[in-house]
Amino acid sequence: MSRVQSLATFALLLVVLIVVAFPFYWMVLSSFTPREALFQPPYRFFRLDFSLGNYRELLFATEFVRFFFNSLIAAVGAIVLNVIAATLAGYGLTRFAFAGKKPFAFGTLFSYMFPPMLMAIPLYILFSALQMRNTYTGLILAHMAISLPLNIWLMWQYFQIVPLSLEEAAWTSGASRLAALRQVCLPSARPGVLSVAIFSFALSWNDFTFAFILQTDRHMFTLPVGLASFVEQTGVHWGMVMAAAVLVSVPTFLLVFFLQRYLLSGLRATG
Amino acid sequence: MKSRTEHHAWVLGTTAPALLFLAVVAYLPIAYAVALSFFKKTAFNPAMKWVGLDNYRFVLEEPELWSAFGRSIVFTLGSVGLQLALGLAAALLLNRAFAGLNVIRSLFVLPYLLPSIVVALVFQWLLSQEYGVINQVLMQTGAVSRPINFFGGLSTAMWSVVGMAGWQYGSFATLLILARLQAISPKLYEAAAVSGAGPLRAFWDVTLPALRTTLLVIALLRGIWMFNKFDSIWLVTHGGPLKATETLPLYAYRLAFEEFDFGLAAAACSVMFMVLLVGAVVYFKLFDPTREIEVGR
Repeated sequence: MSRVQSLATFALLLVVLIVVAFPFYWMVLSSFTPREALFQPPYRFFRLDFSLGNYRELLFATEFVRFFFNSLIAAVGAIVLNVIAATLAGYGLTRFAFAGKKPFAFGTLFSYMFPPMLMAIPLYILFSALQMRNTYTGLILAHMAISLPLNIWLMWQYFQIVPLSLEEAAWTSGASRLAALRQVCLPSARPGVLSVAIFSFALSWNDFTFAFILQTDRHMFTLPVGLASFVEQTGVHWGMVMAAAVLVSVPTFLLVFFLQRYLLSGLRATG
Repeated sequence: MKSRTEHHAWVLGTTAPALLFLAVVAYLPIAYAVALSFFKKTAFNPAMKWVGLDNYRFVLEEPELWSAFGRSIVFTLGSVGLQLALGLAAALLLNRAFAGLNVIRSLFVLPYLLPSIVVALVFQWLLSQEYGVINQVLMQTGAVSRPINFFGGLSTAMWSVVGMAGWQYGSFATLLILARLQAISPKLYEAAAVSGAGPLRAFWDVTLPALRTTLLVIALLRGIWMFNKFDSIWLVTHGGPLKATETLPLYAYRLAFEEFDFGLAAAACSVMFMVLLVGAVVYFKLFDPTREIEVGR
């Protein structure tokens, strides 16, 4: 490659990097900018007057902590149920031949393309009738609707690369099928299970649509719904809102930088 | 396997929990929604009254549905086009300059995995008419004489939403394209160079054909998902101004929760579902993702 070409490539890359990175930079910078300075143009692209005022206000003067716990409970519930259901289904789909297998796999894949609105409206009516709106159970079930299809598919793919010979060896040495599953198959499938846990968490944590429609009581708001309510009023306190945005993104940052290889395996299949 | 009974017990025991959950949270509600579309049901009146195809007749004759449909098409084509363009550009650059540089790659994955609420809030702040830094830069460089009301302007709202969606979901395309690019054998490029092809010619003859399937998968999947997108659009515009960004999912939401007519909303959702079905059939026919694989992924 000639010098001019590599310089041009470098310049283009710089532009793309700025486009990708600047919103993050501005979010973090604004969250640490004192309230008075934030609304006084011209804005500076670098500043040193860092302040934790926005974070203090967010944590002590709003319901942020309550929203956080609601989000956390929904995510943990979704992780536990998803891991159990998806691991079992993945094992069943790869290890046994049965009549409804192809339709099952097809239905699973098809259902992760369902429009959330198509499920949210009937769930709203059903949960209203069953008194399950504004409950954790209802929200966890709704979050399973978005994550379980993907997770079954992930585990199904994963068990296909866990060699059957390992289990067969255990059987011949007298282990029962269940013992072989627990002691041989599951340990080798651990990265798959971890991917399922990560995706269940991310999809539940990121969900706005279901929580927005099902959780109408402010005490039951999750973080995305609670944060959206911060900008409904006039005179939005943008510094505090950016502090909230930063805190909500922290798990995403951790996942991306520490667990990327698990994420990549399922990326193709998320909405 | 010892016996048929044991086999059945295993099949049932492993698949039943998943099936049960899927039935309760996905299939049952959707069946209910489809049934609902044949009834008159409002939020204030718990009784359901059979009306046959009346809801469909009403919705399909409603110009609002068709304008929402048109806006969905604009939003889907616009944002998927942008995602493909940005994704391809970023992937080609990354492949060239920094193959394997993890930090940069991580940065490019981030937007896709961020909660929509975060992206919506950050873009509202960046593009704010009064305090937005983008407007400040545009004013200072003299590109505009008055600050632009990006999300609130009739002519700008749709394109601002498309731009935001392109930024967030373009990284999905970047990742898939980058993975495919790194799997192209360098020998192919050497062969192209030997036969006298320049960089453009090599791109056209080697890179693009290798990417064809990947680009098609991205366009189809993202197309299906963008067509059904509710949260990103709702969070920044609520469908406004004057319904300029009211796509089908937002229209269905309005029918259900602002006009309280669940039957009509279900009919609108079913129309959405038909469109999705076409996309899904094409996807399954072309790629058969349910086929089993032996090794590797």
